[in-house]
Amino acid sequence: MPPQTALHAEAAHLGFDRPVLGPLSLDVPTGTRWALTGPNGIGKSLLLKAVTGQARVHSGTLRLGPATRVSLLAQDHPRRDPWPLCGHDWFRAMGATPPDQPRVQALLDRRLDRLSGGQWQLLRLAAALHSSAHRPPGERLVLLDEPANHLDAEVRGDAVDLITSLPAATTLVMTSHDDEFLQAVGVENHPLTDYLDAR
Amino acid sequence: MLGDLLFEPFVSGLLITGVLALAGAGLFLRGSVWQALALGQWAAVGGVLASVVHWPVLPVALALGAGVMALLQRSSDRERLPLAVFLAGLAAVTLLAANFAQASLAAAAWAEGQLYFAGPRELWAVVALGLASLVFAPGLYHVWRHAQLAPDVPGTRSPRTWLRLTEIAWLVAAVVLGSMVLGLPAALATLLLPAWGAAYLARNLRGLFLWAQALALAGFLIAWSVSLPLDQPFAPVLVLVNVGLALAARLLAMSRP
Repeated sequence: MPPQTALHAEAAHLGFDRPVLGPLSLDVPTGTRWALTGPNGIGKSLLLKAVTGQARVHSGTLRLGPATRVSLLAQDHPRRDPWPLCGHDWFRAMGATPPDQPRVQALLDRRLDRLSGGQWQLLRLAAALHSSAHRPPGERLVLLDEPANHLDAEVRGDAVDLITSLPAATTLVMTSHDDEFLQAVGVENHPLTDYLDAR
Repeated sequence: MLGDLLFEPFVSGLLITGVLALAGAGLFLRGSVWQALALGQWAAVGGVLASVVHWPVLPVALALGAGVMALLQRSSDRERLPLAVFLAGLAAVTLLAANFAQASLAAAAWAEGQLYFAGPRELWAVVALGLASLVFAPGLYHVWRHAQLAPDVPGTRSPRTWLRLTEIAWLVAAVVLGSMVLGLPAALATLLLPAWGAAYLARNLRGLFLWAQALALAGFLIAWSVSLPLDQPFAPVLVLVNVGLALAARLLAMSRP
């Protein structure tokens, strides 16, 4: 594994009950901002799930950099009804300190089951970005799976601000079909197909 | 107000109610209410079986409850498997009661509840579990809060394996002892209904636990003060009171702006 690499994959075959993606080989350098792109169903979300242990590595290697801690914003997070948690509870559970952003601060005392879809997405995004933020930025890998989903015009700018204010040494890997959003957050586009059968 | 005869049942009932309310809030957060049903039923199977083979009730009920919980934890099915296990337990109790006279008496006791007959052995077991609950409460809170996050993943460490195992063992002990002291329907009503009502009233996670305790203890005190003077069995009165309180909580929450 090359030095200063947050995520390393070597001929990895990924899937749930059986392998459906691979062989995949890639190195994500520490401190870079990647957007994994490609058509629906190609395996972008599967890769993020495999990194967090929610999907299996059937063969090959998928490894994090030394001391790297991962946080993930999943593509969807259905809310139960009733769900008596407030925004503060969510940040505590994520091990995150809420950012000063007024629109996020305004959500902290509200119950999660009473937020709009856009507010819920913004709160989750802020918590994923600030989870374990006390650690050195270079040891953090933030994974965002379609963060622009559910964001309405009111909170979209806040989401962009949150992502762009991530410390420079923190590594970011995200997926999105929203080209305008990807441009606004200033990430490098990496088609996933470039890393399949690459070596 | 309490004669010597009723002191132990009252204190045992009050303490186990607090423990069950905590367990109920945890099960609500885990979305595992069906597990509670299966676990409580198999605790009753253990109690009835112990009466047939003349073994001490608590260890047998705990052993069967732990076995059921171990089985349920191995599956991601949160509804059908626990329901099947519950039905199998119901069938086992019915068959035992049909074939053994002492089992029939024991089954009736687990169904109706024997709170008025709780003695020093039950009281000390409940006190021990209550103290253990105080010690484990911060860890249990951590496990239940963390369980809300999936499929999102935090950058912090997950609760350690020993803490997860402690949670399961504590839940088994709470449901088994609760069923033994209050009777199965009353224990399940104390587990499920106060947490359900509290989920509508609470403004946050801490509020869920406080409201669940308040509703469960209020339910116990109302049922106690109604069933004794009216000479009614305690368990069905408690179930009805808890249903009423949970519905009142739901209506109160709906009337809020």
